[in-house]
Amino acid sequence: MNNNKTTSIVLGIMCMALTIGICIQIRTVNSYSTIKTGQNYDQNNLRAEVLKYKEKYENKIEQIEKIDKDLEKKIEQATNDNENLEDAQNQIKEGNKLIGLTEVTGEGVIITLTDSKLDATTALDPSSLVVHDMDVYYIVNELKNAGAEAISVNGQRIITTSAIECGGNIITINGEKIGSPFEIKAIGLPENLANLNRTGGYLEAMRKSSVGAELKKSNDITIPKYTGIINYKYAKSIE
Amino acid sequence: MVMISILIGCLLGAIIGINVPTISYTYSSYLAIAVIAALDSVFGGIASVINKKFDIKIFISGFFGNAILAILLTILGQKLNVDIYLAAIVVFVWRMFTNLGIIRRYYVEKWTENFKKSKQQEKIKEEKT
Repeated sequence: MNNNKTTSIVLGIMCMALTIGICIQIRTVNSYSTIKTGQNYDQNNLRAEVLKYKEKYENKIEQIEKIDKDLEKKIEQATNDNENLEDAQNQIKEGNKLIGLTEVTGEGVIITLTDSKLDATTALDPSSLVVHDMDVYYIVNELKNAGAEAISVNGQRIITTSAIECGGNIITINGEKIGSPFEIKAIGLPENLANLNRTGGYLEAMRKSSVGAELKKSNDITIPKYTGIINYKYAKSIE
Repeated sequence: MVMISILIGCLLGAIIGINVPTISYTYSSYLAIAVIAALDSVFGGIASVINKKFDIKIFISGFFGNAILAILLTILGQKLNVDIYLAAIVVFVWRMFTNLGIIRRYYVEKWTENFKKSKQQEKIKEEKT
């Protein structure tokens, strides 16, 4: 009887471990396969490879963020006692804010551009139904003209070296691919920025060609920092 | 007794497994092969309980040993660019079917015997009346 008891307990524990493993596995696979799994063996392998690289990339970005935080802490520690250095540190902070290396928050507007829902095969000019790089470019320019202090498109911060390029059915900003819907966030005086929505303005022209263009004022907008590297090779400062 | 504990274990495992954080995709292929190995061990354990040859030491060592060996083989296969895990899966699933066959035979025989006994009892009752 005693032997029977231990047997059943051990079997129960093993079954528990087994079901834990199965559940974790099912959830892991479910969370990663948002796209339908292909029938093709090669396709699945390629997909797994891409997922692995994506994971590595995300891990690397996390590491970079950690190192950045460490650096900030070190700088703070080093400048704690010295007043002159404190000034320098404030200057660095201010400079980083200006060139887009820090996250900023404030009031402003959010513009959402979406490709038209109309069937492209029935349209006279299918090209007019999608959001183009020039649309985004023009809107960003108008936002700057209206006094926007910080702008981001789908989480990509627009800085001095940012280029908005066409990349086929997507748009490339800062070398990163982004696609519709485009969410353009801008921080500035909301009343000024909302002038983009004026009659005869660019957003209305987009809406006329049945492309979705919405403008929303918001009191709390957070714009992420620029995550790439700013490299000045040829421009030298004049002493 | 054994079946009840297995059921309770499965239920507890499912509850814990749903609430535990997921692992990264890189290791999911290793977990998959370990799960198959563990499944094989559990079926083997149930079959040996039925055969009355159950030994806890052999069962536990088989449970962990098979899983670890399967994971190591998978890693080796990835390094050599040979899908060794396919061979491991074939062996495990084959053994699973063998063990399942033992379990199934045992219960089918038990039920048919019970059925025969009840029929005989009914016949005796009829003769008495």
